[in-house]
Amino acid sequence: MINYLSLLILQGATDSRVSSAWDGIKQPDLSKFLVIAALLFIIGVMGVLVRRNIIVIFMSIELILNAANLNFIAFSRYLFNTGSPNAIAGQVFTVFIIVVAAAEAAIGLGIVIALYRNRETIWVDEIDLLKW
Amino acid sequence: MTLTGWEAVFFWVFAVTALMAALLTVLARNAVHSAMFLISTLVSVAALFILLGAEFVAGAQILVYVGGVMVLFLFVIMLVNVGAEERGKEAIFNRTPQVVASLLFSGLLVIGLVIGINQGWRAIQERDERDNRLVEVQVRRAQEEQALPVAATNTMKITRDTERIGNSLYRYASLPFEIASILLLVAIIGSVMLARTIKQEAVTDDLDPEVLKEAAPLITERADLTEG
Repeated sequence: MINYLSLLILQGATDSRVSSAWDGIKQPDLSKFLVIAALLFIIGVMGVLVRRNIIVIFMSIELILNAANLNFIAFSRYLFNTGSPNAIAGQVFTVFIIVVAAAEAAIGLGIVIALYRNRETIWVDEIDLLKW
Repeated sequence: MTLTGWEAVFFWVFAVTALMAALLTVLARNAVHSAMFLISTLVSVAALFILLGAEFVAGAQILVYVGGVMVLFLFVIMLVNVGAEERGKEAIFNRTPQVVASLLFSGLLVIGLVIGINQGWRAIQERDERDNRLVEVQVRRAQEEQALPVAATNTMKITRDTERIGNSLYRYASLPFEIASILLLVAIIGSVMLARTIKQEAVTDDLDPEVLKEAAPLITERADLTEG
């Protein structure tokens, strides 16, 4: 019985389609990182579009920036392994993205505090001063 | 570039953790919970950075994001959100048509991106297979990795990642580096200016006279409060 099962599994593993999918899971490559980064990005976009709380919207923006960072690092590693002369540029760019994200968070949260002091709300659909 | 063995296992662990925590960040009702889930996403992504051999960026991510930005977020949540938390019944999502529309378009984006990434990656793999230069590059990288010094704990080798980032940062990106420092200075000054109270603005004589006239009772009231 066990022999039969193992035979089945082995046959399944030698089937080219099954084995390629299983290899993809067993040995994640650049494309897996890109898919994870894309999903993170989309979850961030969803957060920006769907939530009413302005602080959670800022957090979603951080998610988006982090997805971009993951993309940069994955490509940096890929280019390093394929012998690109300046593959480290991706990591340097990521450092700058982190700096910009920190500055953005500081300014954005300052605006949130000023807004809360004047309007007493953090729900974005109630912040409609610029609407006609 | 493929991860094998335990690296692959940890890749899936941290990837799934990052995605689940990101989803919970968006879905959590309490903003403090959102911040906590965002912290676990950021830590998981930092672990993915380490799997990709970017130790410096992983450290910077944990120090700057988790240690700095998220603490700032938590401070602001606790300054701002008390009333909203107590109300509790407040809807956390936008109106249903907006939510449905954004879900629809995000679903399309997911499908498009995943298909695009897979096709592009297949094309890249085919190109790489045709490129016979790559074999010697891989041999050279393996030799370089063999030559690295072993850490004192004898568990792994000391990589040159941070050294290479430092070199690149100061050689090729020194102007952007200085601009980034000015950006940070502007951000500090800007957030201090933005977060002042009306009384602090009045003290530095930085108010429109009409606003000052309107706000005068408020200011004296607050002054009484602070004196009392």
